[in-house]
Amino acid sequence: MPTPSPKSNQLLAALSAVELKRMSRHLEKVPMILGEVVYESGRHLDHVYFPADCIVSLLYVLENGASAEIAVVGNEGVVGVSIFMGGETTPSRAVVQSAGTAYRLPGQYVKEEFIRGGAMQHLMLRYTQSLITQMAQTAVCNRHHSVDQQLCRWLLLSIDRLPSPEITMTQELIANMLGVRREGVTEAAGKLQKAGVISYRRGHISVLDRPRLEAMSCECYEVVRRETARLLPIVPPH
Amino acid sequence: MPLARTKPVMPTTNRLLDRLPERECAHLIARCEQVELALGESLAESGGPIRDVYFPIASFISLLKPMDGQHVIEVAIAGNEGFYGTPVALGVDVSPVQAVVQGAGPALRMSAVAFRRELSSSPAIRDCIDRYMHVVMAQLIRTSGCNRFHVVEKRVARWLLMTADRAHSSSFHITHEFLARMLGVRRVGITEAAGALQERRLIGYTRGELTILDRKGLQLASCSCYRADLAAYAAALG
Repeated sequence: MPTPSPKSNQLLAALSAVELKRMSRHLEKVPMILGEVVYESGRHLDHVYFPADCIVSLLYVLENGASAEIAVVGNEGVVGVSIFMGGETTPSRAVVQSAGTAYRLPGQYVKEEFIRGGAMQHLMLRYTQSLITQMAQTAVCNRHHSVDQQLCRWLLLSIDRLPSPEITMTQELIANMLGVRREGVTEAAGKLQKAGVISYRRGHISVLDRPRLEAMSCECYEVVRRETARLLPIVPPH
Repeated sequence: MPLARTKPVMPTTNRLLDRLPERECAHLIARCEQVELALGESLAESGGPIRDVYFPIASFISLLKPMDGQHVIEVAIAGNEGFYGTPVALGVDVSPVQAVVQGAGPALRMSAVAFRRELSSSPAIRDCIDRYMHVVMAQLIRTSGCNRFHVVEKRVARWLLMTADRAHSSSFHITHEFLARMLGVRRVGITEAAGALQERRLIGYTRGELTILDRKGLQLASCSCYRADLAAYAAALG
């Protein structure tokens, strides 16, 4: 696995040398622990996080504790858009779905950079657009598509954002994200394993047959992939 | 006007029980009574009998070991990620530690007799409890090394994070005196450590309540034990 650096994040990598140097003064490399809640819904956000090689899921949590996924954020994006979009707080919860490293930037510097109107602002706005598209598509997907399809979609979006087509997950996190019991996750992952599409052992998933995985996913993966690629620096598929 | 909630999001279930297949989970819960644990309530005395086991929902239990007739040290802490009653699962009636409620809130209580019956009749429940006990053992081993080798400031950071995780909140009531007793350190050492964390703006005090201001920063200030504990839990129970 390559050593992460700020340029592992595609938004940061797209900045000019001058802009990146300015931001690097305040960027802090932080470990992202599997399952940790990066921010809770309703809380004030102090930092944005640029994933280098981790995956963060944004979830919506209901009063009764049930949750559903809104979006997946990896090295193509940034966690905490509310800070520069002016909201300061957010109704979603951000949870680390795949461990790794991120670079965090205090809110004030994000805002300062955003106000300058340069490449950073441009990238952040385009990223926010792609996030909105993903959220809208996920809302439809949660409503109309099966758990199996949703798992496929999520796996594809995740490995697109990781250095290799492998992910270590916990069933609990996936269950919370898909809004099902763990058995549902075991079943869905088991099916994929039986079909030879993934190998799945003790929480470690390796995608073996990517075209097949895409075929088993709903259209939502392709819609999100296309929009993300259209708006942002390209995320190369494996 | 802020639309988002600012209250902490409290869990409504116990994560170990969530892990069980639907049927077993319902079966077990039907044999439990939901109770409201009160702060400071003693669930078992050191050397005393264990009448009931507890599955915290949004509460947590401190396991304390009295030493030399005058000191006491905390050896473990169980929130909704676990349960209290390991000796029962191991076939022993007597508690080696004092179990005290440190975080008030709801929990599921089951008699030790009923629990033993369920363990022997359900492989799924047995497996889940065994895995948790493995995690606790690893944590005890780690804590043993931590207590011996890690500096107070890092231990305090670790303890605060562990407590916040189980309190499901960034704010809780704590005194230096209490913290000193829990960690087996002189009070002046705690005051120094807490002061340093405060200076770094990682924690703050408001009206007697300690608030974690910078969770990520506090993780970085903690010893590696915090992350290691989470990784061990994810590996065994994810």
